[in-house]
Amino acid sequence: MTETASSHRARASRLRGLSTRAGVHMVLAGYTLIAIFPVFLVILNSFKNRRGIFTDPLGLPGEGTFSLEGYATVLTQGDFATYFSNSLIVTVTALFLILWLGAMAAHALAEYRFRFNTLLGIYLILGIMVPIRLGTVAILELMVDLNLVNTLLALILVYTAQGLPVAVFILTEFMRTLSRDIKDCARVDGLSEYRIFFEVVVPLIRPVLATVAVFSMIPIWNDLWFPLILASGDATKTVTLGVQQFIGQYTVNWSAVLASLSIAILPVLGLYALFSRQLIAGITSGAVKG
Amino acid sequence: MSELTLQDVRKSYGEAKVIHGVDLAVKDGEFVVFVGPSGCGKSTLLRMIAGLESITGGDVVIGGEQVNDIAPADRGIAMVFQSYALYPHKDVYGNMAFALRHAGEDKAVIDERVRKAADILGLQDLLKRRPKELSGGQRQRVAIGRAIVRDPEIFLFDEPLSNLDAALRVQMRVEILRLHQRLKTTMVYVTHDQVEAMTLADRIVVLRDGRIEQVGTPLELYHHPENRFVAGFIGSPKMNFLSAERSGDGTTVTTHGSAPIEVPVQPRDTEGAVTLGIRPEHVGLVAPGAGDLDARILVAERLGGETFLHFDLGDEGDFVVKADGAATHESGETVGLSFPPQALHLFDAQGAAFAPRDRNALIG
Ligand SMILES: Nc1ncnc2c1ncn2[C@@H]1O[C@H](COP(=O)(O)OP(=O)(O)OP(=O)(O)O)[C@@H](O)[C@H]1O
Ligand SMILES: [Mg+2]
Repeated sequence: MTETASSHRARASRLRGLSTRAGVHMVLAGYTLIAIFPVFLVILNSFKNRRGIFTDPLGLPGEGTFSLEGYATVLTQGDFATYFSNSLIVTVTALFLILWLGAMAAHALAEYRFRFNTLLGIYLILGIMVPIRLGTVAILELMVDLNLVNTLLALILVYTAQGLPVAVFILTEFMRTLSRDIKDCARVDGLSEYRIFFEVVVPLIRPVLATVAVFSMIPIWNDLWFPLILASGDATKTVTLGVQQFIGQYTVNWSAVLASLSIAILPVLGLYALFSRQLIAGITSGAVKG
Repeated sequence: MSELTLQDVRKSYGEAKVIHGVDLAVKDGEFVVFVGPSGCGKSTLLRMIAGLESITGGDVVIGGEQVNDIAPADRGIAMVFQSYALYPHKDVYGNMAFALRHAGEDKAVIDERVRKAADILGLQDLLKRRPKELSGGQRQRVAIGRAIVRDPEIFLFDEPLSNLDAALRVQMRVEILRLHQRLKTTMVYVTHDQVEAMTLADRIVVLRDGRIEQVGTPLELYHHPENRFVAGFIGSPKMNFLSAERSGDGTTVTTHGSAPIEVPVQPRDTEGAVTLGIRPEHVGLVAPGAGDLDARILVAERLGGETFLHFDLGDEGDFVVKADGAATHESGETVGLSFPPQALHLFDAQGAAFAPRDRNALIG
């Protein structure tokens, strides 16, 4: 009798576990659908001609509507190869600088005791609360004075400044949790402070670096504001700016806009794939220690 | 040459003074244990010897050379940390070889030394594992192996066993002792566990609040504590203390209405109350009225091999007697307690011990 009761209880709890899990998965699947749908729509319509886009925006490309004219326009008109390489150079360089400088600053703030340590830390992360666009006019004046208008360097510098506060904040918090013993052990082993940073600290913070990289990357890649203001020349246009040429005052070449947007997703996906393994490790590292 | 000398070593963090002038000489090949309650400055002192903490005042001398401003790596020391501090991204071999590789040592030499250390510690089959694939005891062994590989003049240990479970701790304690017998290197070992201190040390340094309370062999500290703090800290269960009044020439005392007890210590002129100390294992149990005091048993803890009897002696709180495992005493029962004179310690109001009349008279 007790046996059946206990097996009953086991089955009930198994069922309960199953239904909870199903619920969680349904919510997540719903969220994924909502998030992916616009992207899907963009890619879908990039393979249609103008008529197809307007008569049946949700329909699959079929006979009479399937067309690669958007891609053809993008690849022949304008200089999309340049725009792409501009976007990539700016994003990757800025990202590299953010991670490099951010990690070093965070290490100094977390590891060394010196006067004004706290004050300096607050100064470095103050930028989180002040949107960098508020300083656009000043930045523009500065770039004009430095003769950097219409150069990629101008964008790289601005994006580095934009990404650093959050990077320093997240990395400092994480570095404070690193064990002091392991750095001391490296000191006893004879490593210089620089080699301790590169050979001991950096391998330990790789997952967090990946997290910071992903969070910093997207706004840089998608930004329209600063390219428009600081680097709108033809040689320095980024993808987001390049797309604008298909959006005329009276007509919009939707096929071309959607095609260029579809292509623009690819590099971000590539970079994300590069970081994502580390990212997942970073997100779970707090929960499952090991 | 690997003696270690501390001369009036001091440390403060800003206004806060942590180490108040420590003098100590550690002989070549000696195993010295720093012991003391949490926060007394053991780790700080060890880290100053290692060079990981700056020295506010005084000198640290290793092998005849003042090393105050010498980098940790050049002091000829190796340190084992409480948290193991293994490099998680390197395998066991990589962890042990790291310092030598960094020093630009020859590959063949590195390999030989790593394998030798792995042999000593039984790590031969684990060399390819990452730290996270090891148990706590194995990790600690790798940490010790990493220290051995560097062939230091002095080993520094900071509570290396406190993250292990009790059984493993006993096993690793024996291994460290054997390691010392084998390598005959000077070792300085920090712990707050007085059993570890008693079993490992050639000499124990008892610290409190950044000052040395007493330095001596384990048995010296056990039999002749110089003050009440050391008396209470060394030995388990801890020494019982009873407030007492002096009478006669000052070495005869009465406590809790007992008959006068003659304590074999050298007479000394001090003001104020005195405290009588006796270890739980030295109190004799006799019939009521036949001993120095009668008392009622509160609780009897039976551990099989031995029995701990707890008494309530008024304002003194817990008074413990260690009795035979076969003792049949029950709680609630009243028994007589007898105090063998040679086992008695006497402390003045400041806690300083009265010197024994005959220092060699150890208790059997
Ligand atoms: N960086 C620091 N700044 C200020 N005070 C400190 C600092 N590090 C340690 N202390 C103080 O120094 C004292 C000694 O610390 P220490 O770590 O040496 O103690 P310990 O004897 O090793 O204790 P435990 O057994 O808990 O490890 C403590 O009171 C501690 O608060
Ligand atoms: Mg400590």
